[in-house]
Amino acid sequence: MMRWLRLGLTLLRRERASGEWRILLLALVIGVGSVSTTGFLGDRLKRAMTERGAGFLGADLLVTSPRPIQAWPDHDLDTSQAIELASMASRGDLFQLVTLRAVDAAWPLRGQVRIAQRPFEDGQPGPALPPPGDIYVETGLLSLLDAQVGDRVRIGASEFRIGGLVADEPGRIGGIFGLAPRVFLRADALAATQVLQPGSRITYLYQFAGAPEAIEGFARALKPRLDNTQRLTGAREGSQVLRGPFANADRYIQLTALISLLLSVAAVAIAARRHALRHYDQAALLRCLGATTGQLRTLYASQWLLLGLLGSLLGVGLGALAQQGLAALLLPEAAWQLPELGWAPVGAGMLSGLLALAGASLPYLLRLSQTPPLRVLRRDLPPLPLAAWLSAAITGTALTGLVLWYAQDAQLVAVFLGALAALVLTLAILARLALAGGRWVRRLSAGPLRFGLAQLLRHRLDSTLQLGAFTLALFLLALLTLVRTDLVHGWRQQLPADAPNHFLVNIAPHQQQEVSAYLAKYPIKSSDLYPMIRGKLVTRNGQPITEGLSEAAREDNTLRRELNLTWTGRLPANNEILAGTWHGNRPGDEISVEARMAERLGLALGDRLGFQVGDQTVEARITSLRSVQWESLQPNFFVIFAPGPLETLPASGLAAIHVPPEARDALTGFVKAFPGITVLALDKLMNDIQAVFDQIIAALQLLLGFLLAAGMAVVLATLLASLDARQQEAVLLRTLGAPRAFLAKSLWSEFLALGALAGLLASACAEIAMALIAQRLFELSPQWHPLMWISLPLAGALLVGAGGWLTTRQITRIPPMQSIRALS
Amino acid sequence: MHPNIRTYEETSSRTPGFHPVAVEARGLGQQVSTAERDLTILKDIHLSVKAGATWAITGASGSGKSTLLGLLAGLDRPSSGSVTLLGQALDGLDEDARARLRAGRVGFVFQSFQLLPALTALENVLLPLELSGQTDARDQARHWLERVGLAERAEHTPRQLSGGEQQRVALARAFATHPEIVFADEPTGNLDADTGARIIDLLFDLNVQTGTTLILVTHDEALAARCSHRLRLAAGRVVDAGAGADA
Ligand SMILES: Nc1ncnc2c1ncn2[C@@H]1O[C@H](COP(=O)(O)OP(=O)(O)OP(=O)(O)O)[C@@H](O)[C@H]1O
Ligand SMILES: [Mg+2]
Repeated sequence: MMRWLRLGLTLLRRERASGEWRILLLALVIGVGSVSTTGFLGDRLKRAMTERGAGFLGADLLVTSPRPIQAWPDHDLDTSQAIELASMASRGDLFQLVTLRAVDAAWPLRGQVRIAQRPFEDGQPGPALPPPGDIYVETGLLSLLDAQVGDRVRIGASEFRIGGLVADEPGRIGGIFGLAPRVFLRADALAATQVLQPGSRITYLYQFAGAPEAIEGFARALKPRLDNTQRLTGAREGSQVLRGPFANADRYIQLTALISLLLSVAAVAIAARRHALRHYDQAALLRCLGATTGQLRTLYASQWLLLGLLGSLLGVGLGALAQQGLAALLLPEAAWQLPELGWAPVGAGMLSGLLALAGASLPYLLRLSQTPPLRVLRRDLPPLPLAAWLSAAITGTALTGLVLWYAQDAQLVAVFLGALAALVLTLAILARLALAGGRWVRRLSAGPLRFGLAQLLRHRLDSTLQLGAFTLALFLLALLTLVRTDLVHGWRQQLPADAPNHFLVNIAPHQQQEVSAYLAKYPIKSSDLYPMIRGKLVTRNGQPITEGLSEAAREDNTLRRELNLTWTGRLPANNEILAGTWHGNRPGDEISVEARMAERLGLALGDRLGFQVGDQTVEARITSLRSVQWESLQPNFFVIFAPGPLETLPASGLAAIHVPPEARDALTGFVKAFPGITVLALDKLMNDIQAVFDQIIAALQLLLGFLLAAGMAVVLATLLASLDARQQEAVLLRTLGAPRAFLAKSLWSEFLALGALAGLLASACAEIAMALIAQRLFELSPQWHPLMWISLPLAGALLVGAGGWLTTRQITRIPPMQSIRALS
Repeated sequence: MHPNIRTYEETSSRTPGFHPVAVEARGLGQQVSTAERDLTILKDIHLSVKAGATWAITGASGSGKSTLLGLLAGLDRPSSGSVTLLGQALDGLDEDARARLRAGRVGFVFQSFQLLPALTALENVLLPLELSGQTDARDQARHWLERVGLAERAEHTPRQLSGGEQQRVALARAFATHPEIVFADEPTGNLDADTGARIIDLLFDLNVQTGTTLILVTHDEALAARCSHRLRLAAGRVVDAGAGADA
């Protein structure tokens, strides 16, 4: 055993410079590097949350509700409550949307709030409740309002002193989704600010803490009383919920990393195959000298294991470096707060590396260890074939295991594998077609170019694989870039110059006249003012709305939250009636529904819908279906009532305005004049959203860098696999008198053609995918990207050309005599 | 004799498993079925090789020489008949058991040398020594390289050696473990006449010095004539078996 292990390592040391070991190592490093990059970051986030335990939720149990909850089940738990809402904070002529949290003295029941006096200090633990007259704000607000601790800030009708900075609070990791900075104020100071208006979007937070059994009993009793706008969160689910959108982003980022790993597996498999082919003679000889199957297995397994460990370790190291970059991209403010690197992802990375290696190479290893010894006498004797089902089972199990492990969700895995398979199949077909097209080009070409193209066409399977892998990488990279430039930047450019750039929210009915009068004094263009009431769609023709709906439809956003309902007799400018007739000014129980929502929920003209508004139910009949231009930035509504039914209910007004740069001052005055009205700066909001979007895309691009490298590894591995045959051919050509330059040129033309073709295919795929996304998802007209059609093939040609040349150039260097010897 | 070769003190009572008959075949036949028809490669071969004897197997190309050699060495299974190698009936042994039987006790020399390209000359000789668990393997390997006159080339890889030099390394490897029997399949087939002749001299010298049994496949009548016995094959059958010239 030891002897074979030692021999294995000696051989490995001697052969370490050989191409297949290098590719294998490279592919493993890339694959493991990509999954451990995300693994490390995910782990740090998770530990950031669990290390704070219940402190993350701020309580053992948290109930959130859009309405105050008056009646609770009996309990003797500690309680605390807070009101959260968006509002304006201003200082001088600067103003900023903030998230107000009005707290009592007990907040938070668990964990702690840390208040600092200077930015980026750790701060002192203390209650979230500021002293009277003070507020605590998140550090980010200081620069937005050009303020310092101790300065005075206006919120609604009151003025407060900034008494400290929120350095840490339960549930907050900071960074990516904190668009409206947090402000803590005393609950008893809220009323005086006058920011609470009927119809304001408010969240009531109730915290509970106590003995576990008491909490459990309380939660059991409470659950049936809550409707689905209200939410109960225990400490255990707390971190999940609070991770919120990042939890999903995280999952997709992981899957992106996984694609790199799978591509690497392909590269490893190709390298492993070549390794096996080149070692059958060795294995046969060793069997002749008395090696048993088991001993050969020890020998080769020790080599692979060592290499697997080395590659995985390097990959993990690479991941540890890259995750810091990813953290900085995703959580710019919090990256420094995250816990140290953990050991768990090291284990996970190593395991994925070994699993990937095993899946890709075990079948070859098994074949190698079963080489018949007779091969020493009959060189042509093929190695015993391994039962196809066995190798498929080994590879399949290992890879499915990997994917399952990373996705942790059977449905997601199915979707992922399905999409990947479809993509691979499409790419394979496209590659085949492209190669067929290449035959035409070849006919028209001459000399080395013709020879190079002939190579591409001859190794059809190889070429398909190379094309497929590289196209996939380029395609995803291009798609991501286009999504960013087209959808975000493109959409903004498409907006008319006078598109609204501010929303006025929470306009009380009695303020409407004053607001209009105020705006009229300035060159401000305003939309109609829409009254707004929040209500939940609950019934259809007297039956619960969910009845008869598919699982997916039940989860529709329009059912999960309260809708903004409005009424007007005038069809909004960018809406169009698709069916039925617009109710106009005839008062009655009529509504107009957005057509796509109607389609998703299976609603038809004539259906009676019931909405729960507060504790009342309002019913109305659908008399028209509308299209809505969501991206117009105008106030848009899923459901518009005819004048009448809603008018008696408390509503707040909503208007969109366009404020030209020269009228900016008007807004400062407006915020002071109407303390309760929230001014949403759309352009700023859009900038923030775009910044978040850019962060995520940059993070994905970092991972796609891995993907590109993995695609490259596949290309190199396939090239390497054909190296022996190419060498033989080159020797032949040179003995027949072909000059070295001819060989070099034909190699270059082969690789340049391959890379350019991959670039073209990727461009085509990206163009189609983009057109579909733009049209289906965003209703934008698709556009051409001529620059991409040039840059992608160019980039592909350069990358593959350089990589291919580096792998194969030795062919042209070796004098024919020496190659003849090397081959024999 | 090569000047560098020292005589080796042969211990004729060397192993407890010493058998008067090194390898024996009874009614040996080999058939393969190809797409069109069944092909008989060997038929009804009887052979008994005494320990210490040298046998030449000759015959035209395709007559089945290598096939026979492979069967005698236990590299393959016959379709009929039986082989007894070093006192062990091979039919009862599986592939791994046959491998274990070969380890250290059977040496091979091939037409195409079959050195491991990644290892140096010394390491190639070391290979069977280490694998059979010899304690002073390295010293022995050096000693054997010296005996084949390649002491200075110990650290060179096969690629840096000429064909004749490679075959000398292969001879050192084959004899290094003091095998009881050495199988050689056209050991000079890839070499020019001069070099071939020197290799053959060396092979016979080593054989005499170590007292191993030698089974040699060759085209070369002169070479065959130097063996104590010969077996001529034609189309898979023995056409002539008996004592060689100097037997
Ligand atoms: N497994 C097999 N399948 C088909 N044919 C085989 C097989 N093994 C051997 N043969 C055929 O049997 C015949 C004998 O082969 P063998 O290699 O033993 O000949 P040889 O005498 O060593 O010839 P040479 O002198 O050319 O080496 C050849 O025709 C060979 O093609
Ligand atoms: Mg032969």
